[in-house]
Amino acid sequence: MTNKVINRDSLQKLYLQLYEILKEKIESGEWTVGSQIPTEDELCRTYDVSKATVRLAVAELVKDGYLRRQQGKGTFVCKRIIPEGLSMLTSFKELMLEAGVEFTTKILAQTVMMPTDDLSIKLNVPGDRHIIYIKRLRMVDGDPILLQETYIPYNRCPHLLNEDLTAGSVLEIIEGRCGVKITRVQDYIGMVEVSDEEGGLIGLKDGVCALLLEQYFYSGDEQIKYTRSVKRPDRFRFFIKLERKV
Amino acid sequence: MSSGKTVKELMVDAFTFPHIPYWFTIKEAMWIIKKAFLEGEKCVRPMVVLVFDEKYNLVGTLTPRRVLRGLEPKFMKTSANIEGIAPDESLLSIIWDTLYYTESKNLSEYPVTEVMKPIQFFVEPDDPVTKASYIMIRNDLIVLPVLEKKKKLVGIITTLDIFTDLSNIVLNE
Repeated sequence: MTNKVINRDSLQKLYLQLYEILKEKIESGEWTVGSQIPTEDELCRTYDVSKATVRLAVAELVKDGYLRRQQGKGTFVCKRIIPEGLSMLTSFKELMLEAGVEFTTKILAQTVMMPTDDLSIKLNVPGDRHIIYIKRLRMVDGDPILLQETYIPYNRCPHLLNEDLTAGSVLEIIEGRCGVKITRVQDYIGMVEVSDEEGGLIGLKDGVCALLLEQYFYSGDEQIKYTRSVKRPDRFRFFIKLERKV
Repeated sequence: MSSGKTVKELMVDAFTFPHIPYWFTIKEAMWIIKKAFLEGEKCVRPMVVLVFDEKYNLVGTLTPRRVLRGLEPKFMKTSANIEGIAPDESLLSIIWDTLYYTESKNLSEYPVTEVMKPIQFFVEPDDPVTKASYIMIRNDLIVLPVLEKKKKLVGIITTLDIFTDLSNIVLNE
C-alpha cells in the first residue's frame, strides 16, 4: 500500500505530486482495474489539498489513460494498453512507413537545458540536472512529417552535443559512443492537438490532431532518454511485430 | 596582479551553472533559479544562469536581480531611468501588494531574452587573468565566458574566482 503524502516544501506543483501518488496506486494494483476511485471530497481530505488540485491531477490521469470518468457514476481505473511484447521500435528508420523511403533530417535544436517540473518527472531526474535537448524535423521527399524532441541527462552522454545528428541515430551514439545499453523501451501512442508552432513545422493547422508517440528508454532501472514525437497522422503506419516463444 | 596567471587556470566548468534555452519564459527561469541555487544541495556562486541558443552558443546570462528587474511594473522602469529622481515612497509602499503581484505574473510569461544580459565580451583560455578582470570591472560583469577560437565555450571565469586568487596573495603578505 502506498502511503506517500504531499510535500508542501517541494517546488513541484501539488497536482503533479498528487498525480504521481495516484498513478502509483494504479500501477501497483492497489487500485484495481475497474474499481471506482475515492470521491473528490475524500481525496481532498486524505491529501489535504484543494478540489482544484484533485481535479487537475485526476484530469491528467484521465488524459494519460489511467482513469476514465463515467457521467453520474464516478471515476474508474482503466485497463491500460501497454505495448508489452512489441519489438523494440528504436529508431526513426524502424518507424518508417515502408522500407526504402528516403528521409532527411533538419536539426532545430541541439543544446542544453534544465528540466522544468513535468520534464523532471518524465525523465525522472532532479531539477538541478543538466539535460541535452534535441529537436529534429524529419522529412520525406521534402515534406515534414515528424517532429521529434529528445531529452537525455547530460552526464549520460555528453558526446551528443557535438555529434552530427542529421545522419546518425541518437540511440546509436548513446550505445556506441557512450557505452550505455538500452534494455527497455516503453512506448505510449495517442493523439494530441498540435500547437501553433508544432503545426507550422509539420504542416498541420493549429488545433488539428496528430499522432503522439512518447518513448521512455531505460538501461536497467535507470531512465536514459525521453522522446516525444508528433507525427502527421496521414503519413504514418506503424509496424508492430508480435512474437510468441514456442 | 594575479602572478601571471592565465584564464584557464582560474576558470570553472560551464556546467557549474544552470543552462536554459533562450525561449524559456521568465517564469521557467525562476523555477530553475530556485531549484539550482536556493533548493539544491550545492552552493553555487555567483547565482548566474547561462542562456543558450538552439546550437548551444551562449547568448546571455541571467541573475535573480535581472529577473526582478524584468518583473518590475512598467512605470517604475521609466522613473528609474531619470537619474536623481526617487519614486514617491508612499506610492512604492502600496504597489507591492497591487501592481507587483498582478503585473509580475503577466510579465513572467515573457521570454528570458527580454531580461537576460546579452553576451558582449569574452576571453580566451590563454588570455591573462588581468584581461578578464579588466573587462569585468569596466563592464560591471560578474561572469565572463571563456571561448576557444572565439566560438567554443570551454569555461566561465567569475569575479569570485579572481577575488579568491587575489585575496590569497594580498592576505598572505
